[in-house]
Order: sequence, then structure tokens, then C-alpha cells
Amino acid sequence: MIEILQQIVNGIAIGGVYVLIALGLTTVFGILGIAHFAHGSVSMFGGYLTFFLVAGQGIPLVIAIPVALTAGVVLGMAIELLAYRPVRKASHINAFIVALGLTMMVEGLNLEFFGHEQVVIPTSFDRVFNIGGVTLPELRLYVILAAALLIAAMTIFVERTKTGQAIRAVAENRDAAILMGVNVRTIPLVVFAMSTALGVAAGIMVGALFAIAPGIGEGLVIKGFAVLILGGLGSIPGAIVGGIVLGITESLAAGFVSSAYKDVIAFLVMIFVLLFRPQGLLGKAS
Amino acid sequence: MTRIAVSLLYAGALVVLIALPQLISVKYYLHLSILALIWLIVSQGQNLIQGYTGYVSIVGAGFMGIGAYSTTLMGMHLGLPVWLTILLAPPMTAVFALIVGYPSLRMKGHYFAIVTLAFNLVIFIVLLNFTELTQGEAGITGIPKPAGWLEALNFRDREVYYYFVLAVAVLTTGIAWAIVRSRVGQILMAIRQNEDLVGALGVAAWKYKLFAFVASAMFAGLGGALYAHYQSFINPEVFGVAQSLDAILAVIVGGSGTLAGPMIGAFIVIFLPEYLRFADSFRLIIYGLLLVLATIFMPRGIVGLAQDLGARIAGRR
Repeated sequence: MIEILQQIVNGIAIGGVYVLIALGLTTVFGILGIAHFAHGSVSMFGGYLTFFLVAGQGIPLVIAIPVALTAGVVLGMAIELLAYRPVRKASHINAFIVALGLTMMVEGLNLEFFGHEQVVIPTSFDRVFNIGGVTLPELRLYVILAAALLIAAMTIFVERTKTGQAIRAVAENRDAAILMGVNVRTIPLVVFAMSTALGVAAGIMVGALFAIAPGIGEGLVIKGFAVLILGGLGSIPGAIVGGIVLGITESLAAGFVSSAYKDVIAFLVMIFVLLFRPQGLLGKAS
Repeated sequence: MTRIAVSLLYAGALVVLIALPQLISVKYYLHLSILALIWLIVSQGQNLIQGYTGYVSIVGAGFMGIGAYSTTLMGMHLGLPVWLTILLAPPMTAVFALIVGYPSLRMKGHYFAIVTLAFNLVIFIVLLNFTELTQGEAGITGIPKPAGWLEALNFRDREVYYYFVLAVAVLTTGIAWAIVRSRVGQILMAIRQNEDLVGALGVAAWKYKLFAFVASAMFAGLGGALYAHYQSFINPEVFGVAQSLDAILAVIVGGSGTLAGPMIGAFIVIFLPEYLRFADSFRLIIYGLLLVLATIFMPRGIVGLAQDLGARIAGRR
């Protein structure tokens, strides 16, 4: 029983990271209809940059994180402006190919700047709490809290603010939004800024909890898409539920079945859900 | 372009491909050409589902892997002759494709793409971890070449293997042509244009989609089998998502929904990264940049560009 609880707690931390990635993907998809495949690599860029600032330059984490977030956001907005905007009217296959090309470019940039070594962002959070037999490392607790905070902030932004309302309006009906006076040229930029900030936060968490290495970003974005599909494309609550479900499934699979096959089990769960709910757990039936 | 001009172009391309080993002085380029022809087979399959039916499948390399491992393992454990295991590889792949295709094809658009991507990952992880069967990351070495009949037909000779793969590539292109020209092909293109309308006309679209998906998998499985016996060595690394993306790129860059597109695309996908080797670590960045630029400025691929140019020249006369 304790063991199950332990794995669930582990799963929530990983699930939180997945939720952050998936929230970025789902809002981009909702607005532009683009499967933003480069998202994982951009997130890893932020993680690498944080590592470089902290371990290489000796800059404290509290300064390094905002710097990495800003750099990531600029990169994300540049991608929207320079690469996705020109293919907005093209077929979704072409937009997807652009996304693949971008992934290669960002992966190449990461290799060029940060090398191909596996890196771990150093933190001083070394304490381990023990709550009724369930061990909870300090770092993992902070990751869960930070993820929860960011998810809440993003939800409030999208649900409660004027800009958030405009984002939802464009996602729902672009033409009607234009008629209502929404500036559809700036909205994608706002969405990319928000999505990339969440992505970079996830990248930093991965870098501190596990490690960053070439290829990790692609793995992460695939998990993000799996979450999207599980929860329902374009649905924010779906991304949150889907991410936690995927994280916990993976942890339980790693703890009780086989850690080598944990991803296989996670994907099979996703496919199984789709057989019964093709629109995802919380998606609307089309 | 008139039908005669197109036929002449295909005939010319075939002549160049037949003469190629004589024109190439560097052995390495012959090696790349063999790989490009194998990719041509895989890309023709990819084109059936992606180009003609409009469903982007990201499991091409995974199916190649199934073809490669099934021909190898059947030879190793059942002692079957190489010719037979190569022939059995596509049907083996088809069985997997049926299992994968049934749940995947319930999804549309991005859902389908991502579910197939997940399947490619599943195949990759199983190939990597089921070490009792696949020997994992270390891979399987010493995969035999097909047996030759005469002294001259020794498949250890690269040139002989080149002509063997070329013959298969021509054959599979012919099959793809026949599919596209048939009623089935018409329905596939109708699904790409408007799937709801196809359903409304009383056609069970899912059967045709499944057919296109399974056919594309069989092409990939055949390509994988040829690859295994050519390299004599396989490991999971070459059957990952990145290689599936290469198949998609070959179709897009060449020109999706055209017969010539995958041919041109396959050679580009194999040769371009080689030519970018001089750029070393910038290679990935340049390759990605070229892709982005090509898609923005040349959305219908090289064949589309050539058609536009041809139409412009014809119009000026």
C-alpha cells in the first residue's frame, strides 16, 4: 500500500511536468491548429540555459530561471513570427513539416551551444521528507508546488483576463473573433510567449529532477502529445487530468511491472482510452 | 505536360538509374544509392497513406524495423532461405499494421499522426528491450545475403545488390501506380478531399484507409527486409521516429500525391545530409532550415515546382 502511494506521489511530480508541456501544446493547437513539435526542444533550450548559467557562470538559481524563461519566450515568439505564420493558411501537413524542421534547428542549436553531454541542473534542495512511510525529496515537493502554481496562474490568465478571453475567442471561432475586434495578429504571439514560458519551466524541472541530454526534448514533446490525446485536443482541463493520469500510470508501471516498458504501458493506456473515447477523456465529441 | 513527355521522363530516369553504377567512381556513393532506392520503396508506401489518402502516419520506420527483424529472425530460428523470408516480411508487417491500424484509423488528423508516432515508439522500445529475441541495442550481426544462382549473380557484390534493389523499386513503384490508377486509388483521393462525402456516398471509408495503411506498411516491411540483408547488421537505432520523419520528408519535399515525388524525395533525404557533412555540427541546423524554407516557399514539393515551371513555359509559347 505504502509502495503504491509512493509511486503515485512520484507520478504526480512527473505528471506535473507533463501537464506544463501539454498546456503549451494544447493552447498553441487551439489557436493555430499546429502540432508544435519543436516545443520540447525549445523547453530543453531553457533547461540547458539554466544549467549553463548556474553551473557554468555561478549565477544563483533565482536569477538564472527568469533569464532562461525570458530567452525561451523570445525564441518561442520568433518561431511563431518567422516560421509558423507563413504557413498558417497551408495544409496542416505542411505546418507539421515546418515544426519538424524547427525541431531539428533547435536541437542543432542546443548541440552547438551546450554540447552533447548529459547535464543535471544543480540545486541545494537535498532534504528528504518522510510522511507516513512515503518519502518525498524536497526538490520533488517544490516541483509539484511550482507546477501547481503555474497551472493555476495559466488557468486564471486564460479564464479571467481580457487577453485570455480573446485567446479563447480565437480558438473557438477565428472569424467571429476578428469581427468582435480581437487583434488576431498579436494573439498567437501572446499564446507562444505563455506556452514557451510553461515549457521552459518544465524543461528546468526535468533538468533538476532527472537530466537534460540530446533527444530528451523530443521524448518530452511526444509525451505532451500523448497527454493531449488522452485528455482531448484543445482542452485545458483535459491536459491537466491527462498529464496526471499519464504520470501516475507511468510511475506505477515502472514500479510494479517494468521500468524498461513504462512508456509502452503509458502509450497502450492512451490507445486503450481512445478506443472507447476517441475524443479523449474530457474532449467534446465532434 | 503531355502523357508522352511524362513517359519519356520516367524512361530517362530509369536509364540513368540503370547506368548509375557505371557512372559512379566512388564506392560510397553506390552504397548511398542503394540506401536511397530502399528509401524509395518505403516512401512510395508512405505516399499511399500520406500523399494520396491524406493521413500522416509516423510509423514508417517502425514497420521497416518489423520487416527487417522478421526476415532476420525467421532465417535465424526457422532456418528458412533468405528469398522466402524476404517475401514473408511484408505479410508479417501487414499483420502488425492491421493491429495498429484498427485503433489508429478511428482518429483523424493530428490524432492519427500522434497515435502512429506512439506506435513507432512502442516498436522501438520493444526492439530495444526484448533482448532475448532482438539482442537489444547491440543488434544482430552476420545477416546472410540472398543466395545467387550463377557466378555473376553474387549478392555480396554491391553492384548486383544495387540492381536487385532497383528491380524491386521499379516493381513497387508499378504496384503503387496500379493502386493509384484503380478505383481504390480514386476512393483514397476522395477521402483526402472530403471524407464525410465519401461516407455519405455509402462507401465504407475505413476499409479503404486501412487498406492504404496496410499497403504502406508492407512497402516499409519490404524496404526493411532489403535493408537488413544489405547491411548484414540491424539494431533498433535505424527504426526510430527520426527515420519515420525522413520518410514523411521524402514525400513532402519530393511532392506528395505524385508518383515521382517519393523517388526524388528519397534521394534527397539520403544524399542531402551527406552533402551537408562539411558543415559538421551546423548540419542539423541547415537541414532543418532548408526544410522550413522549402515548405514555406515550395509547399507542393519539387514535382509541384516543376509542374508550375512547365505550365509557365507552355503558357508563354
